[in-house]
Amino acid sequence: MSTDLETIGMLRDSAARYADDNYGFHQRWSVLARPEGYSPQAWSDFAEFGFLALRLPEDDGGLDGDAVAVGAIMEIVGARLLMEPVLASAVVATGLLLKLGTSSQKAALLPRLADGSLILAFADEDEAGNACVFDGSRLIGGKLGVLHGDVAGELLVSARDTAGASVVLRVGADAAGVSRRGYRLVDGRGAASFSFDGALAELLQPESGLSAAAALAETRDEAAVALCAESLGIVRKLVEITTDYLKVRKQFGRTIGSNQALQHRMVDCLLLQEEIRALTAAAQQALAGPAAERTRIVSGARAYVVHAARKVCNEAVQMHGGLGVTDELDVSHYFRRLMVNAALFGNRDAHFTRFTDAALAR
Amino acid sequence: MSPAPLSELRARADSLRQAVRDFHATVMPADLRDKSHRHQVLSKDDYVRWMRLLDQQGWSVAHWPAEYGGKGWSPLERFAFEDELARLGCPWVIPFGVKYVGPVIYAFGSDAQKQRFLPGIKTTEEFWAQGYSEPGAGSDLAGLRTTALRDGDHYVVNGQKVWTTYAQWADWLFCLVRTDKDDKPQSGISFLLIDMNSPGVKVVPIRTMDGYAHVNEVWLEDVKVPAENLIGEEGKGWTYAKFLLKNERTAGAIVGWAWHVLDRLKRHARETVVNGLPLIEQPLLRNRLGEFELRFLALELAAYQAVEAMCDGSENGSEASLIKIRGTELYQEVMETLVEALGAAGVACDVEALHSAGLPPLGPDDAGGILKDHFYNRAATIFGGSSEIQRNIVAKVVLGL
Repeated sequence: MSTDLETIGMLRDSAARYADDNYGFHQRWSVLARPEGYSPQAWSDFAEFGFLALRLPEDDGGLDGDAVAVGAIMEIVGARLLMEPVLASAVVATGLLLKLGTSSQKAALLPRLADGSLILAFADEDEAGNACVFDGSRLIGGKLGVLHGDVAGELLVSARDTAGASVVLRVGADAAGVSRRGYRLVDGRGAASFSFDGALAELLQPESGLSAAAALAETRDEAAVALCAESLGIVRKLVEITTDYLKVRKQFGRTIGSNQALQHRMVDCLLLQEEIRALTAAAQQALAGPAAERTRIVSGARAYVVHAARKVCNEAVQMHGGLGVTDELDVSHYFRRLMVNAALFGNRDAHFTRFTDAALAR
Repeated sequence: MSPAPLSELRARADSLRQAVRDFHATVMPADLRDKSHRHQVLSKDDYVRWMRLLDQQGWSVAHWPAEYGGKGWSPLERFAFEDELARLGCPWVIPFGVKYVGPVIYAFGSDAQKQRFLPGIKTTEEFWAQGYSEPGAGSDLAGLRTTALRDGDHYVVNGQKVWTTYAQWADWLFCLVRTDKDDKPQSGISFLLIDMNSPGVKVVPIRTMDGYAHVNEVWLEDVKVPAENLIGEEGKGWTYAKFLLKNERTAGAIVGWAWHVLDRLKRHARETVVNGLPLIEQPLLRNRLGEFELRFLALELAAYQAVEAMCDGSENGSEASLIKIRGTELYQEVMETLVEALGAAGVACDVEALHSAGLPPLGPDDAGGILKDHFYNRAATIFGGSSEIQRNIVAKVVLGL
């Protein structure tokens, strides 16, 4: 089922309006200074607007939003560099819980996710040589680079059972046997690494019969697609900011935008923006499609978008000159945000390899 | 009449694609199909036969309004049609009559001109060429200097056109001429139809690096052109030319051509084993293939997005330029890689000649044709508005720079 366009338009408008009023680039400085790495006030405002229940079924008070609805919010998250755990908790971890959680797990967690009182993080990347293993009740192993893991109340952890099959576990972030090392990412958001030393863990076992491996694959794809939408928001903003700058910045007695060399490079940025837009839309549609095509389109989109967004951002920095690398200008914050996003939920090379195998198998 | 919803246009485009595939499989004559699949150079007879076949299917002018014999195809159907033909490796739809001058005539021509010329364009009874570029006016078309001076009931035309594709076959030349020297460059230009059999018209072939002469110089010396062959008003030629250019740039074939050569490259990479390993499994080529596939995916999706924007009126003017810039650059690079992967056969000047001399084949029997296409399409980033001109247009129209 797809979310209707009117609902998506309302989501987009209300998120944009909120960001205009409360999350300007200068207002954001105070968020960056906070120990949590996000604004608790904004987070509870998002809960009130229903953004955190975006993916919940209507019966649970949610919007049952599809990938296009998620993308509408993620574009604003990117364009306005919102710091809150929308992607990590409300989109990715909530999505995984909806796929694999038992009814009682969902009953326990969904209301707290919707009202913002719980931040749920998805811990997926194994520590090298210390992959997570579940023995039926307890979890051993390590996870790295868990986005917003520093502030998460609970975790969904990917692991293997003793037979080697994929499983997903619910673990309290402060439970006995869990040690957490929180830190800041270069874009100001928080993350954490975790060690599990026999921590009590609860298996997510869906009544639907969906395998954990399939649910994990879907979740990783959903994360990739949400990141494409976030990148689209960022790239649109960068193209807008940089084009405006080319029209006002004067050197040698004329605007730098009157130089054909820069005009053509700016056009190339616009072309990349349009490609990112097309790929993101296709990836959103592909999430609901057959598996092989989903793999090709989603990983293709993610692989292309990571490079394309980085290219646009490098150009934005370059054309702003020395200002482009200052902390004072938003361009450098977009630069850092894209760096972090490129490292999240499967990097460019992983997706490119997956794309190539799928494309050449056709 | 409000436009049909996008979902309906998509469904129509899909069934058109199927019809094109059926036509290719069952209607297209085997000799034409074979020649075209091997990328051989086609003769005028081949092309006329091809264009008439398309007309028999009702496709040659389907993008025209119904009152002139068309079907009022949406941009999406036009795109699907050309894209599918190109993917199947069919000859191109020669645009000079059906795509370029035809719409100018029905939009701006007199009733007499419509009756005189449109039927012959639809059936390729008359073959057309485009007299735009001049030695001093390439990308800067408004700098053209060919003059047409009114003398009683006719014009006297003097000047030189260049890069005129198929002028050697053409019955008619639609031509931009300067009717007023004092005006600013754009406003002194008029749009004239010139009979190629007129005294004073001389066609000089230009040999290109593929060894053929697709393009020509056209010399015009005191050529008498009846005043009734002026389209619209004197001095409005630039407006008509811009209208034509809009039609020119909606060309969808480039996406299909890119797909076609990429498919050919993959086939070659699967069939060719080097040191016990198919080329497609060799890491360096596989990486390049993956990059090409990825760029093709972006091109294809962006092209659809662009064409759909043309359908619902949300276009910003950059769409056609985007397709042309990206499509031609990808096409050329894939072609380059294919020629490289063909090895010795890729640089043999005439594979056909080797065959007929009884020498062992150097490679697949389409190798020579691929090489010819590669040479010809090196100009794809130059003709029809160079990549640089496309970027100038987008910078001005969309970015306001």
